[in-house]
Amino acid sequence: MRTFNVRRARFIALCLLPGVVFVALFTYYPVLRGAVMAFQRYNLFDLTSTPFTGLENFRAVLGEERFWTALRNTGTWVVVSLFFQFFLGFGLALLLRRHFRGRGLYQAWVFFPWAMSGFLIGLLWRWMFNGQFGVINDLLLKTGIIDQRIGFLASPGWAMTSVIVANVWYGVTFFAIMIMAALQSVPKELYEAADVDGASRLRQFWHVTLPHIRTTLALIVLLRIIWILNFPDLIYSMTGGGPAGSTDIITTFLIQQVIGGDYGRAGAVGLLVLGLLLSFSVFYLNATRFEKSR
Amino acid sequence: MRKPFLAATVATTLLLAGCGSGSSSSGEVRLRMIESLTSPERTKLIKTLIADFEKANPGVTVELVSPPLDSADQKITQILQTKKDLDVLEVRDHTAKSFSNNGWLAELPTTEWPGWSDLTELAQKKAVEVGGKAYLIPYGFYQRTLFYRTDYGMAQPPTTWEELYEAGKKMTSGDRFGYSFRGGKGGADYAVMMISAYNGEALNPEKSFYLKDKRTIFSTPEAAQAMELYVKIFKEASPPDSVSWGYPEMVQGFTSGVTGMLIQDPEVIKTVEDSGVTAWSTAPIPKGPTGYAFQPVGYAGWGATSFTKHPKEAVKLVQFLSEAKQSIAFAKGNSLIPISKQAQNDPQFSQGAWKAYLQAQQDPKQVITIRPVDYPGWSQFLVDSDRDVQALITGKKTVADVLKSWDAFWTDQAKKVS
Repeated sequence: MRTFNVRRARFIALCLLPGVVFVALFTYYPVLRGAVMAFQRYNLFDLTSTPFTGLENFRAVLGEERFWTALRNTGTWVVVSLFFQFFLGFGLALLLRRHFRGRGLYQAWVFFPWAMSGFLIGLLWRWMFNGQFGVINDLLLKTGIIDQRIGFLASPGWAMTSVIVANVWYGVTFFAIMIMAALQSVPKELYEAADVDGASRLRQFWHVTLPHIRTTLALIVLLRIIWILNFPDLIYSMTGGGPAGSTDIITTFLIQQVIGGDYGRAGAVGLLVLGLLLSFSVFYLNATRFEKSR
Repeated sequence: MRKPFLAATVATTLLLAGCGSGSSSSGEVRLRMIESLTSPERTKLIKTLIADFEKANPGVTVELVSPPLDSADQKITQILQTKKDLDVLEVRDHTAKSFSNNGWLAELPTTEWPGWSDLTELAQKKAVEVGGKAYLIPYGFYQRTLFYRTDYGMAQPPTTWEELYEAGKKMTSGDRFGYSFRGGKGGADYAVMMISAYNGEALNPEKSFYLKDKRTIFSTPEAAQAMELYVKIFKEASPPDSVSWGYPEMVQGFTSGVTGMLIQDPEVIKTVEDSGVTAWSTAPIPKGPTGYAFQPVGYAGWGATSFTKHPKEAVKLVQFLSEAKQSIAFAKGNSLIPISKQAQNDPQFSQGAWKAYLQAQQDPKQVITIRPVDYPGWSQFLVDSDRDVQALITGKKTVADVLKSWDAFWTDQAKKVS
């Protein structure tokens, strides 16, 4: 019996081996390498000498005003984007749950932004928001909502609003898909029982739907926070972090370090982001677990 | 249990071995080449040139890798760091120094190559710009010129920055503006161009961020004058939205009629021609009050890696692409200033919009400079300075703030290099 178990364990280990090797090679190795670089002078200009410099890169990054601006912007970017994505996505999921003619086609039409790359979305919105040639300005002018063009990507306040609008457009889909799947998992019997008890639609939503999908909601919110924070593609192609750093988030700041050739500093920023996300995730999961057990 | 494990190991090894480049069992040589400034038309053109090379060199095949434009240089750097599977590559003016510093580029033979003497003086000079050794052969040059609309009440092009400002202000009314300002990525380069022109003869063209007396060009009162005018051009003669404009918006601004003037590379000529705009012309870039105009000539070229397993064939490919017939075809296809002396007889490069480039080349006060791309902070400055320019034109920073930080940065860089 023992021999059989050992052989079986070996076989399982062998089957798992390619997966483990690939994950280690393409996920853990780059993370570890980046972490080591954070403590080195690793400038692309001269890689013949890459000495360890301790916390020098971290000191340099934390001493930069731009880093703190990017951190503040990240807060706005994540919180506002998430708020609108979540509530609009929820609304859309509730609408799409109903049976109506052409629902499949409508679902496909609603979900297609999720299939596009962030960089491409950024380019599209960049042209749509263009102050001189953009379709959004044209529409607003023609409908009489504005009487002169708005430089959406030219002024700091408008630029942040514009990138968030584009991000909401993109991310609503994710919430709609996930929440719709969660909604479909709620047993119909519960609603039937609630109907028998005379519960209104609102009470059914509050006492049946929400408790049933709460765990899923908590997880997808956490996932989305991590993804939005790690989603520089859209901002980078739309504004490049500008004007004057007003749409810089921590990950576009990281990209700028890479383009500047300073991989050491980029590694330091990367580790700081990782630390931030890990602490947040632990805090958030603990908080939602507490909520569940209560 | 051992047999499946062994079989898997052998299969993986064979699979990985098959992925690499090099010689095949039949003795055929396979070269791997990567381009940087990718675009579908350009890739198509390179592939036709490669096909000609393969025809002329039986037994040699070339695999072209074309990464997306925005991440191409990073991808090339990553491949170079592994020192594997790359024979020929596109080297740009701002990557040449770091690539050669890290020992990734092979020195190309020039004396025993007959094509060398056919290269223009500029091409020969730029080929050996890094450390006096030919690490690349340029394939063409990007030199800026002024594009202007003749139907916007401008009979003569502005010859100075002050005239450009005045002309631009006159054109600006309603939805029409004078100048396609670049406030987005690459915008700081235009500020530097103006500062250089205002510093005039004091500037050292060989190290163009410094004066002949070793101070930086950002430290002078003339630099402040230039920057004040630069801000005025944005505020009074350019679309407010141009604070975020990059290359596509600038060109679109000109071809759509939103702006009347544009300073750009020759590749725009084809775009303007195709746009249907008929009343336009070109002129050399404006000068400063000193009577001088300075600009670097952007370039890129083909190089061979130091670790190629087929150095002879790799060099042969670089030389083939750099010979008159191929290089002229490439320059024409990409609207570049050609590297071959023979191109001077080609009507495309001596007529119409191209005339301005010849005019500039014949004017001793239109000076070609060398930017400090070989200084360790160059890449960082490109990122930081664009951001500073946006802060300046949106009123978040003053001219004095920006010039002070640029002066401090390049004074520090000078210490690092010396």
